[in-house]
Amino acid sequence: MKLKLYADRMSQPVRAVIIFCKKNGIDFEEIRVDIAKRQHLTPEYAEINPMKQLPAIVDGRFKLFESHAILVYLASSFPGVADHWYPADVFKRSKIHSVLDWHHSNLRRGPTTIVRNTVLAPVLGRPLNPEAAAEGEKFLSASLSKIESIWLKGNGRFLLGGNQPSIADLSLVCDIMQLELLGETERNRFLGPYKEVQQWIENTRNATNPHFDEVHKILMKAREKLQNLRLKGANNEGGESDMKRTLHSRI
Amino acid sequence: MKLKVYADRLSQPVRAVIIFCEVNGIDYEEIKVDLANREHLTPEFAEINPMQQLPAIVHGSFKLFESHAILIYIASSFPGVADHWYPADVYKRSKIHSVLDWHHSNLRRGPITIVQNSILAPVFRSPLNPEAVAEGEKILSAALSKTESFWLDDNRPFLLGQNQPSIADLILVCDIMQIKLVGETDWNRLLGPYKKVQQWIENTRNATNPHFDELHKVLKELKEKLQN
Repeated sequence: MKLKLYADRMSQPVRAVIIFCKKNGIDFEEIRVDIAKRQHLTPEYAEINPMKQLPAIVDGRFKLFESHAILVYLASSFPGVADHWYPADVFKRSKIHSVLDWHHSNLRRGPTTIVRNTVLAPVLGRPLNPEAAAEGEKFLSASLSKIESIWLKGNGRFLLGGNQPSIADLSLVCDIMQLELLGETERNRFLGPYKEVQQWIENTRNATNPHFDEVHKILMKAREKLQNLRLKGANNEGGESDMKRTLHSRI
Repeated sequence: MKLKVYADRLSQPVRAVIIFCEVNGIDYEEIKVDLANREHLTPEFAEINPMQQLPAIVHGSFKLFESHAILIYIASSFPGVADHWYPADVYKRSKIHSVLDWHHSNLRRGPITIVQNSILAPVFRSPLNPEAVAEGEKILSAALSKTESFWLDDNRPFLLGQNQPSIADLILVCDIMQIKLVGETDWNRLLGPYKKVQQWIENTRNATNPHFDELHKVLKELKEKLQN
């Protein structure tokens, strides 16, 4: 009765769950649900998750969606998951819950909003929307500032003064990684002011490598394709269906 | 070591936390932080919660904010809290987490958007914004529709096919109650299509009364004040 994980690695919360499973030796079957091809909107997938979003898991007869709930379930149910991921101590655990809750209304609304309304818009069949992207930028800056000054306060290498990562570190860092799709210049423009944040991203990456890099490969490949297509589009008319076709075939 | 709850009953998540404490006989001290007077933005309150939002708790030297985290902490730490509020069973518990997570990006944004851009705008010195209200109504309808067809699917009194309320029921219902501020006509218009939702709100109210009604008095009082 292997754990089934419904996934598209372009999705940040999907990546967090996959990295967590690999790091903790949790045996799972990754079932691809291609967002760009709208497979998450099919009636078949609605049987798995009626909210039609990723990730979702099926463990025997137990179905679950929402990545934070999934990470908590996995940490609580699978033997051999080290305590630091989701501590048994009620004080530490509650603080992790507060980060995960804060995340929904703050950081989570940053990178995803920017990316969906700019570089990924054509792939997702959406119009470019610079106003929405600007809104996303505001959320991102405000959130990075709060992470730098509040959540990374103290001498720990991870959030909440921890010296080991928790599911909160994984969830938030995977979200920030979505900025890679914008290219290095833009990414550095956003992250530049926040030295603690940059170090923390690196700490989280080191603590979960080689899985972190492996799972993020798809993002890096997509970034390259998007950059090449932008250059091509600048040289001739081209673009949107080319971009879609290339991303579908190569990702 | 009494629990301190930093509160303004105008806030939906504050009400959920207080009702929970009252129903479970938890000894607490309610410390008023007046939102309309911007007391949540003072440097003193920033010491309690640097995100400057309500609710927040202080328990001895332990500080915590975010209402879902607070409810989980209280349910886990205080003896005598019945299991149905936050079950020990990992499957039931995980489902509750999934509702609470879904809530942030869905139901929570509806009532708040409607109310803050209409009737509460003057209280917070922002402009009326009918476009934002319309957006909020769309978000609310979509969320209520999902609640009706999925979270309340099993024809049981509470979310997730349960016979007893959990912290998820309390949080979501308190959020929906915020719409009372815009008046009965709008309440009936927005909730009218959702019979199961209406019954569920009533079930949650009955399961937590008289505290539910007591805590929601503030909405009636504020509405009357704003109308005059």
